[in-house]
Amino acid sequence: MAIKTLEVIRKRLEERPAELKKLRENGQKVVGWTGYNVPEEIIHALGFIPIRIAIGGDDRLVEVGGRYASSKNCVFIREIVGAFSENEDPFIQQTDILAFDATCLQNFRAAEVIEYYFKKDVIVLGVPRNFYWEEGKEYFGKEADEFTRLLEERAGVSLDLAKLGESVALYNDIRKTLKSIYSFQAAKDNVISWVEVFDLIQAVDLLDKKEYLALLHQTLAELQELQHNPVIEVDGNDARIFISGSLIPRGDRKLINIITSVGGRIVGDDIWTGILPHLDLDIKEISPAGVALGYLNRTPHAALPYLDLESDRRLKKLHELLAEFKAQGVIYHTLRYCDPFTFKAKETKDVLAKSAIPVLEIHTEYAGSDYEALRTRLEAFVEMIKIKAESAAEVTV
Amino acid sequence: MATTDLYEYPQELREEFEATEAIQFRDGSQATGADIWHYMTEVAPKKYPYAYTQRKYVDGRMSRDIHLPSAIKHNYLLLTMNDRINKSRENGSPVIFVQGGQSVDPYYAAGGIALRPASVGMWSRGRHEGLGLNEEVVRRHKQKEKAYHAISFEACQTAGYESIQEGGLPVDMVAPFTCLRCSDISYGVEAHRHGPNKTVKLMNIDYPMRHQADKQWAVEYFSDNLRRLTREIGKIAGREVTDDDLSKEIRLHNEGRRLAIDIAELWWSADVPPTNGLDRRHILQMGGMEIHGDPSASLTILRESKAYISERVKNGIKAEGVVDKPVRLFICGSCVRPNDFRIEEAGAIIVGNDNHWSDICTLVKEEGDPYQNLAHAILSYPYEQSVELRAAWTIEQLKKSGADGVLFLYQWGCNTQSAVARMLCDTIKRDTGLPTMIIEQHEGGSEQSEQLLNRINAFIEMI
Repeated sequence: MAIKTLEVIRKRLEERPAELKKLRENGQKVVGWTGYNVPEEIIHALGFIPIRIAIGGDDRLVEVGGRYASSKNCVFIREIVGAFSENEDPFIQQTDILAFDATCLQNFRAAEVIEYYFKKDVIVLGVPRNFYWEEGKEYFGKEADEFTRLLEERAGVSLDLAKLGESVALYNDIRKTLKSIYSFQAAKDNVISWVEVFDLIQAVDLLDKKEYLALLHQTLAELQELQHNPVIEVDGNDARIFISGSLIPRGDRKLINIITSVGGRIVGDDIWTGILPHLDLDIKEISPAGVALGYLNRTPHAALPYLDLESDRRLKKLHELLAEFKAQGVIYHTLRYCDPFTFKAKETKDVLAKSAIPVLEIHTEYAGSDYEALRTRLEAFVEMIKIKAESAAEVTV
Repeated sequence: MATTDLYEYPQELREEFEATEAIQFRDGSQATGADIWHYMTEVAPKKYPYAYTQRKYVDGRMSRDIHLPSAIKHNYLLLTMNDRINKSRENGSPVIFVQGGQSVDPYYAAGGIALRPASVGMWSRGRHEGLGLNEEVVRRHKQKEKAYHAISFEACQTAGYESIQEGGLPVDMVAPFTCLRCSDISYGVEAHRHGPNKTVKLMNIDYPMRHQADKQWAVEYFSDNLRRLTREIGKIAGREVTDDDLSKEIRLHNEGRRLAIDIAELWWSADVPPTNGLDRRHILQMGGMEIHGDPSASLTILRESKAYISERVKNGIKAEGVVDKPVRLFICGSCVRPNDFRIEEAGAIIVGNDNHWSDICTLVKEEGDPYQNLAHAILSYPYEQSVELRAAWTIEQLKKSGADGVLFLYQWGCNTQSAVARMLCDTIKRDTGLPTMIIEQHEGGSEQSEQLLNRINAFIEMI
């Protein structure tokens, strides 16, 4: 039961680089952004075309990037640097300005390396580590003002708050619709898979936002027609897997493919390139600082340290999502040298163990050399979850 | 371990050494030359035999420049760390774990003692008496392994987790400046939240990034962080911290920083190196006022060292063990370094380094709001600026020190300095033509690997 709009979106993604090229020839500028707290609405409201720089899965680019940064940087960052070096990615080719944030300090370093070696025009948004302090929020608001000023300089116009309001409304609608669609993939007798929704979420990074919203509404309408009342519940045959940890960007499908190939059903995620950034974003004031604070107040990224384990909102959100999507096991995915998540791997396992949730940590990179090793481990994990679920069902009977 | 295997200070030095200046401590007490000589020749060899190893290439081996009193006094302060810190804590000074590359003025202003990982390690080491070198290295590695297990095997540093969480070391607070030098600092602090020690307070002093010293809001934010820091330490110490407390501390630490700058310039001005590389590094590091856990003690030694080095420079005295016209190496990068003895054996000498030196040679304005002044100075550390600015400052140091080449070393797992390494080296090569080499190093062994030293030796030979 294919969702027809998904095909349209795939086609539009293929056409998009050529379209961006034309728009640039007509004077529009493309801002490539990466980070967890980049207030994209500001970029959009200033008339730029925002696209997200989030690519992965290419071991060759990792190797190239490592020559400029280092072999000790995470593979995602190395691949981004490598991609700018090779300049073969059709989307990266179309970027005029780059906007990076300092949520993850490796992202900050990548900005420096790209600026230094590839002479790109880079704007960096500072992000406070003490993000929950009032002083931290105030600092971030001022950083957002500065970020806006630097973009205004490049746009040659001042930010119009009415336009910012329109952009916020557009993005809010996108987030709300995505959330609705996301629940369909976790439902019993689902008509759309998590993988399809994951691809759909990532399409927002590259397509025109108004067109994307229209396509989302169309997708939702199709889903509602096919499944009137999606109910999220455990099906006896499923091994419902939740993916947590390091991001999985466009181009990196190794882990996802293995999980599905061994019979796991992914039903949720809290990764940076998944649904999480689109949840709980509440913009209370239409101003650069107001938008930025909306971002900062979301579920925090693991790169931002929080010093009290009991009240950690990231872990709280993880539990909420696990319950909402009735996940039976967690794959905690850490990329090589991704410190925000590797430093928390054991802690997260300990925390989830207290809630009796099975966890498998997968530490990997973009090379294919560990494919079979991962497959064996994931197969065993999925099997274990199925046996556990079957045993639980027998006890209930 | 048989005591015959241990190094012994020559008795003929005793009289001369005992006549040197006493070390003045912050609590008003002092250690005379005679006290120090007795401790270093009678007490410490029994308590800490590993420190007296005869093995030449051991990292942490004590300097053999026995005519430089500061070398012996520095080691005295390191070996008495456990006794001194315990005493200070009993007298109401909380101990705060900090990280490298930062100044410590506000910690002392609030009545605390700021210790970096190496100093916390010394304190922890001091609690285990009678160990030989191998036993001590095994003990340390076993402890470190526990931290890697609890945090991540990819961690370049573990924020003292092994001592504070696993080793029962009574540190009162973990509160370093984040983002400065190292990207793992804040994760290291956060890791303590899941450790068994629930009494240690945690705080990140948030160091903003990117053109931070030029942004008034970044200075204000960091200044707010510093205020919160002194307030929190003050709560533990049971006192209210005033602006005047910080102003006084800044003046004291500025004196240390100025002395270190003067000594560096003296050292660099000499035709022949007046000390070996190890002593040069230790003396200059005292300007950071952290290394001994007692700024007053460090100041005493700095003042004395300046006089000794002036005398050596004036009389053209060359340090023992250094060849004539050695290759002069400057070290860039993070918290690791090559073994000085091996470097000198290969015909070179380390004449400077950017790590620590960046904060030591940043003086703090003494008039006006002390928090704002301190925040502005800290956000101006050359090491933490953009690559071009950092390179410009490094090149200035290369010129002053007469360096012939640059080694950029970073610790295994260090994401942040490793990412800067090539950019910095490329800029230095572009602007000076000096040869550079980038090396990844794994700290923690008692001796450095032959592979590492082979590469460095080849670099020295090439120069």
